[in-house]
Amino acid sequence: MPDFVIVGGGLAGATAAGTLRDRGFDGRIVLIGAETMAPYERPPLSKEYLRGESDHRFVRPDGWYEENSVDARFGVRAERLNAAERVVELEGGERVPFDQALIATGSRNRRFPWPGLDLPGVYDLRFAPDADAIRGAAEGAGKAVLVGMGFIGAEVAASLRMLGLEVTVVEFTGTPLERVLGPELGRSIEALHRDHGVEMVFHDAAERFEGKGRFEALVTRGGKRVEGDFAVVGVGVEPATDVAVQDVPVDDGIPVDARLRTGVEGVWAVGDVARHDHPVFGPIRVEHFDNAMKMGETAARNMLGADEVFDDAHWFWSDQYETQIQMSGFATDWDDTVIRGSVQDRSFAAFLLKDGRLVSTFGMNWKFDVRRSMPLIAAAAHPDREQLADPGFDLRQLHEGVTR
Amino acid sequence: MAEWVKIGSSGEVADGEVNNYSVGERQISVANVDGDLHAFDDLCTHQQCSLAEGDLDGAIIECPCHGSRFDITTGGAITGPAADPVDVFEVREQDGELQVLMDE
Repeated sequence: MPDFVIVGGGLAGATAAGTLRDRGFDGRIVLIGAETMAPYERPPLSKEYLRGESDHRFVRPDGWYEENSVDARFGVRAERLNAAERVVELEGGERVPFDQALIATGSRNRRFPWPGLDLPGVYDLRFAPDADAIRGAAEGAGKAVLVGMGFIGAEVAASLRMLGLEVTVVEFTGTPLERVLGPELGRSIEALHRDHGVEMVFHDAAERFEGKGRFEALVTRGGKRVEGDFAVVGVGVEPATDVAVQDVPVDDGIPVDARLRTGVEGVWAVGDVARHDHPVFGPIRVEHFDNAMKMGETAARNMLGADEVFDDAHWFWSDQYETQIQMSGFATDWDDTVIRGSVQDRSFAAFLLKDGRLVSTFGMNWKFDVRRSMPLIAAAAHPDREQLADPGFDLRQLHEGVTR
Repeated sequence: MAEWVKIGSSGEVADGEVNNYSVGERQISVANVDGDLHAFDDLCTHQQCSLAEGDLDGAIIECPCHGSRFDITTGGAITGPAADPVDVFEVREQDGELQVLMDE
């Protein structure tokens, strides 16, 4: 009976373990996670969990690992994947042999050498205890200072406003989420937050955090001094590649082919840490929930011999206030945007096209079309602009004839 | 004791459509798949979004919030993030009524 080792106790790793057992694999599964908690969903940490509206949601229920004979090692750090000897080396010296291994170590928050970053009252958010700390700081506080307005910054800003705090965000680019959405759609997010009373400072960045024994103010590169009771830094992540695969060079993540293989026989990588050679988008690294989950499922099936190409069109959501945001596809640049619905009413889909090809669809409080775009994106379709703009036109009519 | 409860009228769920009904404390959805009716608990087991608001593709309904997919003939979760099935109910059209079989 083969031994499988999964390195990484997040969504991707736990989903893979679940899929292996659901598919009837009855060999040994060792699941190694650096966090002490069983794998849980991270999206609520900046949203309902941060606001105290929900408890943790576990990827698999408590007890599942034991009931399914998954040798779960939570609170244990893997140090190295030794491909030559086919063992994973754990901190403390234990060596776990494997026939196949899956690397799902995720990503870690980026840290810049800002003076004062280690002051009490300066937080970042990745793990459940981080959310607990921020929620604790928010209790009885009046004002929060945020650095960065990507997804973490935007969602934390929304949650803290919903808890009644004053919020000021300092963001390096010109709008929230500009790197993902571009300035035009980014402005729709800016308007949303402005209407909810968030103060936003763009084209500025952190210089240092100040305080006597505890955070009191952020000083920006532009010379502003923004005071607050605590600060939250959300300036992006980097792949957690410490457990790299011997002889496979790391290049913005662990490179994997379309089938999620690292190039070392029987060693796979998924989720935030994997730079995946996507059949439509080319080599990309994606840091979203849905991708981690689906890659975990696909890798598990492939470990059992399925030989599937991972060609998901990608999709994510973000809830901010009462507004639901979704996006499918993957685009770093586009030359045409078609709107369906009303940007002003915050109820629309935006189809992003490059040379006439649909590369991504963004939606704000808009049902169906973001997900209905996915087969078109995966097929590199060139849909008609007028049909895209027409809310009465059902995109599913275009699904027939695409290859997916 | 299970009991047939009237929730609507015969023929009101068109082919390919999903309607949502309040039955006591529960929200129940009824879908028409190629002429066959299927009734299931409307609330996604992941985060309680209304499945009736989602896309129906054959007998698969997709949660509009986070993309979980359920087979409405069995209630089973096909893809996550939801892991648990939704309850399914027997449903029929009789005497001009749309009825579901509910436990007391």
